[in-house]
Amino acid sequence: MDINNKVLWIFDIFGVEVWITQTIFNTWITILLLIVLAVLIRVTMGGWKRVPSGLQGVAELLVEKFDNIVRNAAGEKFMSLGNWFFAAFAFILASNIVGIFGLRPPTADWATTFAFAAATFIMIQGMGIKHRKGKYLKSFFKPNVIFFPLNLIGELARPVSLSFRLFGNVLAGMILTSLIYSAPYYLRVLLPAAMHAYFDLFSGVIQTYIFCVLSLTFIGGAAEET
Amino acid sequence: MDRIFGLDQQMFISVAFQLLNACILAAALTFILYKPVRKFLKKRADEIQSRINQAENDMARASELMAFYEKKLADIEEERLKVLEAAHVQSSEKSRRMLLEAELEMAAQKEHAFAEIKAERERTGEEMRHHIIDVASAMAEKFVARAIDEATRDRLFDETMAALEDTL
Repeated sequence: MDINNKVLWIFDIFGVEVWITQTIFNTWITILLLIVLAVLIRVTMGGWKRVPSGLQGVAELLVEKFDNIVRNAAGEKFMSLGNWFFAAFAFILASNIVGIFGLRPPTADWATTFAFAAATFIMIQGMGIKHRKGKYLKSFFKPNVIFFPLNLIGELARPVSLSFRLFGNVLAGMILTSLIYSAPYYLRVLLPAAMHAYFDLFSGVIQTYIFCVLSLTFIGGAAEET
Repeated sequence: MDRIFGLDQQMFISVAFQLLNACILAAALTFILYKPVRKFLKKRADEIQSRINQAENDMARASELMAFYEKKLADIEEERLKVLEAAHVQSSEKSRRMLLEAELEMAAQKEHAFAEIKAERERTGEEMRHHIIDVASAMAEKFVARAIDEATRDRLFDETMAALEDTL
């Protein structure tokens, strides 16, 4: 099993070479799967009852639980960010899990994790300025102006740490699982299943949760007075 | 070109691609699933809240009605007691009046009976007197016939009368 991110196609757009990598292609597959699943759930919505059961129960549980995560981690005023984090949660979770089906997880590429971390960074700054206005910008110069470089580095380190945490965990899981696939046949009987269960499912869910909750906590923290 | 990690132009192009993909996914999931489900949940929560409010209003109205009817029952009970008391007073008065009337009538009848007895007694006495006079006359006639004097006759008459009065 090759752990490298393969370049599938190369395009030339306005003189710039653009690589369509395995990550991007697998991201499209993951997005397509999620959209198909969402459409399937949506189609059943016409027959939804007051007392949920089956698929309706799962969909309601997911949305409600996710709303609660946003409410608890960031606060009531950030409920408008729920849809973004709902999508991020679904995508990161699905990306972590697709490894079970032999696809290279899109989150095993730093480009994917950094894209979501960059979105979080933009939201942190946006919400900080929106809710605290000038005070937020002044907070970079506290307790003293000489701390500005440190505060700035601390702020910039957030998306980097967020993205590398997720990327590192998923990549490590993928590499370890790949190693097992390259091991002698007697090690390839039950061990790969256990590795997938741990790294793709267990660690995948935990890392997704950590990414989303940390992002929401950072956003909530930026918008609050310290 | 295959690689695990590299900080170059292609990496940032990939980041831009992934951001775009993420935005497309977020828009699609929001439109297809997240908002409709939240709308459904909100509608159901509103409906349940509305039912709770309706039930509370019904309960308040029922309590008001209960208080109203309890008061009405209390009024009716009070009215019943008043009517009963009035009827009792009225019946007592009527019975007292009837009793008085009966007593008066009884007294009148008694008086009338005494008067009738007295009149009958007098009438009987008079009849007896006349009868005695007749008997006495007949006796006198017979006595005269045997030559009894007048003084003896009167004495005999008075003795006879006294004996008659004692027997009455």
